[in-house]
Amino acid sequence: MRSNKVGWLLLTPTLLLLGVFGILPFIYVLFLSFHQWNPFGASPDRIFIWGNNFRRLVFDGEFLLSIWVTLKFAFFAVFSEIVIGYLLAQLFMREFPGRAVFRTIHTLPLIVAPIVVGSVWRLMTTPSIGIIPYYANQLFGIDINIGRDAGTAFMFTVIMDIWHWTPLVTLTLLAALLSLPKEPFEQAQIDGASRAQIFWHITLPMIRPAILATVFIRLMDALRTVDEVWMLTGGGPGAATRYIGLHIWKVVFPKTDYGYGSAISVIVLYLTLVMCWMLYVGLVAPRNKGN
Amino acid sequence: MRHHLKAGGATLLIGLLAGSMPALADFWSDAGAKFQGVTLHGVTESTPPSNYVKDVLAPEFTEKTGIKVEIETTSWDQMYDKAIKDMEAGTGIYDMVYIEQDIIYAYLARNFLVDITKALADDPSLKAPDFSEEAFTSFADYFKNADGDLMGLPMEAFIKIYLYRTDLFNDPEIQAAFKEKTGKDLKPATTHEEYTEIAEFFTEWGQGKDIWGTTAQAHTGHPASWYEFFESIAPTFGVYNWGIDADNNYAASVANGGRMNSDEAKAALKYWLHLRDIAPPESAASTWTETATTFAAGRAAQGLIYGENAAWIASDPEKSRVVGNVGVALPPTEPGVLEQVEAGEGYIGYYDGGAFGLPITSKNQEAALLFLQYIGQDSVQGPWAVAGSRITNTATYDDPAVQELDKKLGGYFTMLRDQGKLFAGAPPFPFHAQVREATAPIFYEILTGAIEPDAGLDQMAAKAEEELTNLGYRK
Repeated sequence: MRSNKVGWLLLTPTLLLLGVFGILPFIYVLFLSFHQWNPFGASPDRIFIWGNNFRRLVFDGEFLLSIWVTLKFAFFAVFSEIVIGYLLAQLFMREFPGRAVFRTIHTLPLIVAPIVVGSVWRLMTTPSIGIIPYYANQLFGIDINIGRDAGTAFMFTVIMDIWHWTPLVTLTLLAALLSLPKEPFEQAQIDGASRAQIFWHITLPMIRPAILATVFIRLMDALRTVDEVWMLTGGGPGAATRYIGLHIWKVVFPKTDYGYGSAISVIVLYLTLVMCWMLYVGLVAPRNKGN
Repeated sequence: MRHHLKAGGATLLIGLLAGSMPALADFWSDAGAKFQGVTLHGVTESTPPSNYVKDVLAPEFTEKTGIKVEIETTSWDQMYDKAIKDMEAGTGIYDMVYIEQDIIYAYLARNFLVDITKALADDPSLKAPDFSEEAFTSFADYFKNADGDLMGLPMEAFIKIYLYRTDLFNDPEIQAAFKEKTGKDLKPATTHEEYTEIAEFFTEWGQGKDIWGTTAQAHTGHPASWYEFFESIAPTFGVYNWGIDADNNYAASVANGGRMNSDEAKAALKYWLHLRDIAPPESAASTWTETATTFAAGRAAQGLIYGENAAWIASDPEKSRVVGNVGVALPPTEPGVLEQVEAGEGYIGYYDGGAFGLPITSKNQEAALLFLQYIGQDSVQGPWAVAGSRITNTATYDDPAVQELDKKLGGYFTMLRDQGKLFAGAPPFPFHAQVREATAPIFYEILTGAIEPDAGLDQMAAKAEEELTNLGYRK
């Protein structure tokens, strides 16, 4: 009984902080999402409009497009990061000259602020000035213009995200690989299993929790990406890279449509939760049930 | 006796004068004495004039008054984000906020700002002897409320001008080639047709030399492109105030009495899109900063450039490759438009600039009033104008250093003084960002070619009216 009280006492500051900085803002956003409120409107009053903001979302082409491009971005970025991160983790499991140096350099992007990453990639990709369009033209005769070509701009936002966040995946999977027991692998080798069989039937199942945790983290990050993309493309060309985080920012800040922006935020939070739940149900739950 | 009285009177007079002189000279230290320990906080865009305030004027003010000043210089978007959030929430973090001319109407509508004229009249002890509202240029009118009171202290003002490369325009070989191709003499354009001809010529001539015929502020995802069209191109075709008629129920479409999708606006857009196509490749990713950089790098023969960049382009060899080779002219117009503007109807380009405002949420309003007056004095204007190519006080034009710089700038300051009246600030709408953000996505799609220009402007006009209806301005 006594330890229970002490436990709650120790938890109180954390719960208070969580309440003030996590739950209260969420309740406020939820409250606003049922209102029409634009302080720069002819009438700056907050008007309760039931679920009209959510109804408006269904017919908002810009919102639907931004959801679609965000999902595409998240899929390509996270999938590539997991594959490349795994391959790099496997590489770091082996001994080779300069491994420590390479591993250090490889993790450097992680410590760079997203806005700086965006600036660096913008400098590298600015048409006719950046190093990438320059060499693409000089070496392969390809004209790269992220200001005019939607596909190229999208591709570079994905590449930038991969460059920035793959080291996180590598480190997580490397930790998982290093913690695996040797016995199952040795036994499989004795039984004559091929590399593919070992990967598919032993390695992958054993590091599945680490992969899933990494996918969850990266997926949530990718769905809310703003600063890097804002710096690199500003959401353009057109709406090609106007990902949902950027879309919300434009609705809430320059347009000051607080009610509608809050409704989008609530829906995006809901979508993120649903996606993570589906991922969990699809990949983790069946295995747990089987066990 | 009379002699003694006269001598005594003279001594008394001298004594009184001598006693009063230090008080006058010492106004700043006396006025600042009441605010010891106060630190003023300001937020502004990172531009040469703002950096001068931060690096020079703020430390000078601190030295004279003892009042500390911390000026935060940041990006345009962040500046508004921070200032508006602070004033909305009433947190009182900032004592000075930069107000770009186009947002003053929104700030006034929301009662964000202290009435500077009234505040100084209410407390004459705060009034600095060397500060006078009368000294400001007519640009200050944009920062006055309905009563004519100053709501922001003008700190920078520029016109967006037509810059051209004098070395290229005066080169006999180029002149001959131009004459051979067009049958005309090469000189700064006065019409759109001439401008296009020159741009096409230089883009063709400059192949392999990294020179193009024009700049274009045509970013496909940044409001800079939207602004270039509505503030700098459309007016030269006779479409003013973004084509929105405030006196006609805020109509934007031609069907309802607006001009956003008028034939003139459509012609303007096609003209500009053609220029964008023959501008350097980076134009599709260029905002207001990058067009200046493009020109300074010697990659364009001519272009419309914000005046705030004119000084460093023309005079700073560390940043510019075209120092000494820059000429200025009025932007080209459609026939008849300049005459219309000279007659008092409309404008031919953007009179850009901003002021420092004092938020009503500030907790140090009196000390902030002192600082605003300090940077508004005639005596600090000359070096500031040289550092940032900005002029807001009439006396600044007579400063020898400014006149010297004017020669290097090809007469930019003279043009600002004599022809500034042909330019205008943003329309007096309190819904700038709202209408811009509602219509900009369509504009970006026009730039990428996803929507035809004519159809795009039709959609933009409809979208603007929809947004104005949502905001409650259009009934």
